[in-house]
Amino acid sequence: MRSRRKRLTPLDFVIFAAVIAVVAYVGYRVESVLVYSWDWSAIPGYLFRHDADTGAIVPNLLVLGLLTTLRIAFWGMLLASAIGIVLGVARTSRRLFPRLVGWAYVGFIRNIPPVPFLFLFYFFISSQILPVIEIEAFVGGLSDGGTQVLELLFGPADLIVNFLSGVISLSMMMAAYIAEIVRAGIQSIARGQYEAGYSVGLSRLQTLRYVVLPQAVQRVIPPLAGQFITLIKDSSLVALISIQELSFMAMEIAISEQRFFEVWIFTGFMYFLVCYSLASVFNRLEKRAAAARR
Amino acid sequence: MAQFLVLMGGFVWLVWRGVAEMDYRWQWYRVPRFFYKEVDGELIAGPLVDGLWVTLEIAAWGLVFTLLIGLVVALLRLSDSIAGKALATVYLEVVRNTPLLVQVSIFYFVLQPLLGFNNPLWAGIVCLSVFEGAFASEVIRAGITSVARGQWEASASVGLTRLQAYRYVILPQAVPLMLPPMAGILINLIKHSAILSFVAVFELTTEARNLVGDTFMSFEVWFVVGPMYLVLTITLSGVVAWLERRVHRGRSA
Repeated sequence: MRSRRKRLTPLDFVIFAAVIAVVAYVGYRVESVLVYSWDWSAIPGYLFRHDADTGAIVPNLLVLGLLTTLRIAFWGMLLASAIGIVLGVARTSRRLFPRLVGWAYVGFIRNIPPVPFLFLFYFFISSQILPVIEIEAFVGGLSDGGTQVLELLFGPADLIVNFLSGVISLSMMMAAYIAEIVRAGIQSIARGQYEAGYSVGLSRLQTLRYVVLPQAVQRVIPPLAGQFITLIKDSSLVALISIQELSFMAMEIAISEQRFFEVWIFTGFMYFLVCYSLASVFNRLEKRAAAARR
Repeated sequence: MAQFLVLMGGFVWLVWRGVAEMDYRWQWYRVPRFFYKEVDGELIAGPLVDGLWVTLEIAAWGLVFTLLIGLVVALLRLSDSIAGKALATVYLEVVRNTPLLVQVSIFYFVLQPLLGFNNPLWAGIVCLSVFEGAFASEVIRAGITSVARGQWEASASVGLTRLQAYRYVILPQAVPLMLPPMAGILINLIKHSAILSFVAVFELTTEARNLVGDTFMSFEVWFVVGPMYLVLTITLSGVVAWLERRVHRGRSA
């Protein structure tokens, strides 16, 4: 390839011109054709509001939605990792039965689009599983302190069933992808490592526990971090089953305020901020870890 | 194998028991009408067939635009142009760090009225292509950079221009490597097209949701639509596996 001098090429000017032309056209459409008057003033009010009773500044819908999104991502990642690790290990098992179970689960979930899966699954969870564990009775029986801890961890107590169904459906879906990451991690460990484990007299499980997994974990963590960001993004899908997270709030506000432009652009910006900063942090950590290993 | 069958049987039994406890009335006899109707001896496509057709249409057009966007972005990133690289980076970061649902909303609620056209289907196709284009550009870039440096030097030394080098030396080697992940992107297009049900594009999931709304036969509808997607994507996954094997064989030979 050619030497890379920092110099403006004709292509640069073409691109500059194109970007300016697009911006100018959009500006023209907004100002002259649609005669749209931007009004961003409502947005801050949806981030935080002034509580008349206590006089304090409290988070409003958009921030509450963002918190719910982050809670869903956090609990979803924990649950999905637990299921995913079991399935991933099962897929590398030498016995046929666990391999088949893992294969069936992963194949099933990865080949059905998330949206129909969420619809079907949400219906099941909310009508079949959650009533069985009687979560509402449990929440109702908590003391004040207990309720506070619960609200910090899982969000508003009256929406907890709604929240849990979202978390469970999402993590069932995410688990299939994590299972594949774990499987790839385990399989990337050279055969010799197993043989070394067996030759010092470890059982298969012990070899996995003391030799293979510690090495696999190192390789699995960067893709898992990426999966966490994917989970934050995909958590927006549960808005379709009325889980009250950021996208759901945005939908509601956009309709009630009739401010589709501002609300959706701002919501996109919020997601971008969260995901981009997380991605940068993960990147830096990964680089530091790689440097430390050397 | 026997254990697996027992487990699957147990799972089906659980589902069946759960449904039976809800007093759910199965109405499978109404399902064929979702696929076709017979009016005066003529066959008319039912909602699910219509929806499937739209889904395939979205995937096909989406793939064309995805490849175009992916190619342009990949070439911009590999170019010497400062503005080109900056533009490609901004595009990639924005697309990667926002949810598809929000992108669909922005295309539908913001860009569509802004640019003055009113066609949810095409807004959806373009939005999906912009989304998948980010992944396609990575695939294309990886394919191109995986061709050894010496190949560039060799083409330069026989006097090929950059364009000729791409055309005769680099791409013929890079494209086979790109095919399997590209087929994966096609599968993703089909899967992600279901999100367009959010903005009134009448693809398979939208039709299914409407049917559930009209008939309350949620289990029958989703138990039919799920396998429809499964058949589509598993067929394509088979193609991916086949392509991968072929590429592998071609390389080792």
